[in-house]
Amino acid sequence: MTALRRPSEERLLAYAAGTLSPPQSVVMATHLAMRPDTARWVGRLQAVGGEVLETIEPAPVADDLLARTLASLSTPEPETPPQPANDMTELPEPLRGYALGPWRWIGPDMRVRDVLAPRDGDCRVILLSIGSGRTTPVHSHQGVELTCVISGAYETDEGRFGPGDFEEADGEVHHRPRTVSTEPCLCVVALDGQIRLDGWIGRLLQPFVRL
Amino acid sequence: MHGMVSDIGLARAGPMSGEFEHDRLIEAVARDRDREAFAVLFDHFAPRLKAWLMRSGAAPAAADDFAQDAMLTVWRKAEMFDPTRARAATWIFTIARNRRIDALRRDNRPLPVPEISLAGPEPDRPDDLLEARQDEGRVRAALRSLKPDQIEVIQMAFFQDLTHAEVAQSLALPLGTVKSRIRNAMIKLRDLLDQPVGDPS
Repeated sequence: MTALRRPSEERLLAYAAGTLSPPQSVVMATHLAMRPDTARWVGRLQAVGGEVLETIEPAPVADDLLARTLASLSTPEPETPPQPANDMTELPEPLRGYALGPWRWIGPDMRVRDVLAPRDGDCRVILLSIGSGRTTPVHSHQGVELTCVISGAYETDEGRFGPGDFEEADGEVHHRPRTVSTEPCLCVVALDGQIRLDGWIGRLLQPFVRL
Repeated sequence: MHGMVSDIGLARAGPMSGEFEHDRLIEAVARDRDREAFAVLFDHFAPRLKAWLMRSGAAPAAADDFAQDAMLTVWRKAEMFDPTRARAATWIFTIARNRRIDALRRDNRPLPVPEISLAGPEPDRPDDLLEARQDEGRVRAALRSLKPDQIEVIQMAFFQDLTHAEVAQSLALPLGTVKSRIRNAMIKLRDLLDQPVGDPS
């Protein structure tokens, strides 16, 4: 099977419609920041949303809603909170707006840190750095896992994924990405549930690896 | 369409629903802080915003609050509206899309969610800006040429996350069928829209 390296049509549509979960939206926004053509397509899908809004059967609002809204027009706009400290200037813009947790060791040349972005149930956003030539333990996913490569490249049975590439993996995929760039491969991942590490090495590692 | 939504792409025309009318009203809000212009926009869009959020599963009172909040954002951000890039309905949709994620999120921490820019994506070719507004009409024309079942799944995708099984249930279709229907519809839409401007279809 050839890798798509970009989001599926239904996931792009969900992002355009605003139904994608917040953690998945963070990974999607990172991908779009690195792929202007796809961002333009999402812009076109806004026009589809405009048409949906224009043609929907209207639901009458409360009688006093206009009066209440007019009365609140002069209330000052809530101040946007200042951007939190973020020590990785190399990250694409959507990720610069979040604080980052400390790097944690998860194996030789393998590190992970939390992106303090909104969670959705068990789904959250992490940064993963895998050293050159390293293979992550074979693992499978409980839920859907979205990955966007920020720098470096990795390879799976599905193909090679480089900067800006996007991968969707579901519970069926037994995943064994290997870093094929000379630099470490840095990815942002929306992770749903715990990753299960397969095989005896994985079972040995599992108690120590909090992914 | 369960009688809830009129056919996409088929409404329109009529002097008051003329697409430029609403553009001018937003510009009047931006330029003159025109409350009457705002009230006209409110009467048109607030009931649609409410309907849209209710189709996404919100209760009527919460959908009223949402419509108010989205229209307040229209008032505050009106200077960012650029009619050469998008028509009023599209721009207000993007506002609503950005606000909805906050309205429906399950965690209550005030962390921001990435937003789609109200200024539209940065054009990467000079021609893109000229094309942007023409695109709007082409999108509507392309929607009209989709099959009814494709239009239906696209509409539903704007209400709910179609990657979840409940929506497939409400359509009485297997999830795989819903996904492939979306894919086919989006591929058709891409085919229709990737034609260069002026190319007869």
